[in-house]
Amino acid sequence: MAVAQKLDCVVERVVAHGERVYTLSLRPKRRVPRFRAGQFLHLALDPYDPSGFWPESRVFSIASPPAERDRVRITYAVHGRFTKRMENDLVEGRQVWIKMPYGDFVIDDRSDVMLFAGGTGISAFTAFLEDLSAGAAQTVTLAYGARSKPLLIYRDVVERCARRLPSFQVAYFVEREGEGAPAAVFTGRVSVDAVWPRLQRPFDTSYYISGPPAMLKSIGDSLRARSISPEAIHIDAWE
Amino acid sequence: MSTASALREQIASLVRKYHEEQFSPRTFNPETDLTHYAGRVFDAEELCNLVDASLDFFLTANRYAERFEADFADYLGVSDALLVNSGSSANLVALSSLTSPQLGERRLQPGDEVVTVAAGFPTTLAPILQNNLLPVFVDVNLADYTANPDQLREAIGPKTRAIMMAHTLGVPFDLDVVMDLAERHDLWVIEDNCDALGSRYRGRPTGTFGHLASMSFYPAHHITMGEGGCVVTNDDRLGRIARSFRDWGRDCYCAGGESNTCGTRFSQQFGTLPAGFDHKYVYSHVGYNLKVTDMQAAIGCAQLAKLDGFIAARRANFDRLSAALAPYADRLLLPKATAHSEPSWFGFAITVREGAGFGRADLVRFLEANRIETRSLFAGNLLRHPAFQGIRHRVVRDLRNTDVVMNDTFFVGVYPGLDAARLDHMIATFAKFMNRAWR
Repeated sequence: MAVAQKLDCVVERVVAHGERVYTLSLRPKRRVPRFRAGQFLHLALDPYDPSGFWPESRVFSIASPPAERDRVRITYAVHGRFTKRMENDLVEGRQVWIKMPYGDFVIDDRSDVMLFAGGTGISAFTAFLEDLSAGAAQTVTLAYGARSKPLLIYRDVVERCARRLPSFQVAYFVEREGEGAPAAVFTGRVSVDAVWPRLQRPFDTSYYISGPPAMLKSIGDSLRARSISPEAIHIDAWE
Repeated sequence: MSTASALREQIASLVRKYHEEQFSPRTFNPETDLTHYAGRVFDAEELCNLVDASLDFFLTANRYAERFEADFADYLGVSDALLVNSGSSANLVALSSLTSPQLGERRLQPGDEVVTVAAGFPTTLAPILQNNLLPVFVDVNLADYTANPDQLREAIGPKTRAIMMAHTLGVPFDLDVVMDLAERHDLWVIEDNCDALGSRYRGRPTGTFGHLASMSFYPAHHITMGEGGCVVTNDDRLGRIARSFRDWGRDCYCAGGESNTCGTRFSQQFGTLPAGFDHKYVYSHVGYNLKVTDMQAAIGCAQLAKLDGFIAARRANFDRLSAALAPYADRLLLPKATAHSEPSWFGFAITVREGAGFGRADLVRFLEANRIETRSLFAGNLLRHPAFQGIRHRVVRDLRNTDVVMNDTFFVGVYPGLDAARLDHMIATFAKFMNRAWR
């Protein structure tokens, strides 16, 4: 893991996806350090004096690809006090501090992988998906769920991936029915049952789960119930 | 501007004045002044940074350390640069990292062999012994003083797992051979780059070929922090392991004063600890505390900005000495670079040839009497030192040239603090000795 750096950034763009889900594009004053797809950053809202201690911050997956070092993108949903402050305070031009990169949620590029993403949890995978090369030997299967169709906010990234890569497949899950969801859609929450038949070598596959805590637990339990070894299950869990 | 900021600026301004008063260059007097072999070269920026960091009073590694590590990693084009308190500590951290259980089957285990040389500095060898590994010594070439490539090939046995050597006095060892051996025999490579910052091999910086490399920032070295060093790697996993060994062996990678950067401080399970035990105090290695202070790093930041100039000055000084001493090549073996290399010279090594009509001691005494500092090529032959006699080891063939280094080799400086007047004095002194007594 590259040495973490603290970076002074300006909020360049705020995209409101609806239902209090947002994507922020941040422009750091210097290039961000090298990072790997799946890693995360800390974002602080309070002023930071580099000669002192780091203020309160929260962690967010880095949604932008590693090759993009002059911009950083994160996606968040308003869930608690800190993200509510983000929703209220973060407007274009506002200064924030980030420190990055952190984390081990780095997808193995040597084996087949099954990715489970719920809601903004997809942002742990977008950098990986954007980085996937057409010549990749591995099979990548994505189960991507959201509360509603408009909240499948990285669908364009996923669709580009599907068009580009023959070894990539996706199943969408939308919790609310009748929203004219895309093809290959399931109604309801992300589940292992729905995608299991698509896996060619389920016991030689690495599983990655990113999403709300209830989903992490249910998917993890479901995989273990199917005798997937704990070592093959990777969970992007934060406190 | 706040009062504190204004005071800081005022202090910085006074520090600049102090530097001008206290450290302005003085005219060199060859009759009285020493011609050092090395030394710190700095201007007001180093002092200002040092005072600035001290005014933060953060004390432990902070903004300057972070900046140095980031800029230094960028300078070399590697992912990780970890500041430690010396080049020797960098060697210790680098080699210890390869014993990590996290490396599984590839980890170094007691009794595994590490190929190295005996003509060098003790703390390239010491970590091998401290980790209960077996050093395998190869002889060195004269003139470049790096490992003999043929003997490197011969050294590889069934228990050989690593190569750890220095780029002696800035001269890159034969990286073609070393990296080829590493590839073919699945060996770890640690470049002791303490004396070679800025050297290049086939155009690429030394310290970026091996799995890990060490750097030294002691005052005699290419840049300084007083005491300081660095471990560099391009391998994320090794970087994290090295950080653990540097920081008490802990599993957590939070910087000093930080907590829960992983976001899972109280929700993991390690060893037989209770679930959720505070990750900040989970130890995955038997480690050390080898960190630097931010004051050291602050000096390093100012030095790093000067590095390219320092390297150029070292090369220019080396070239000047090479040309001036060339007429004595019949009696003095003058230094040379290895093939495909561009050294960032640490010193100017000289071996007094057999039959010169004088010995090293004669020449060294003459130079020292004329206030020109000389140094042995470090330990000469480490195996002949009290600390290393009786160690378990293997020698490939013999260490004939290593003994020549011990008996007949020394070096003088090429550091950027040697201006034209000092070099003139050095050259004139050599001339006096060579032309007068031994013709």
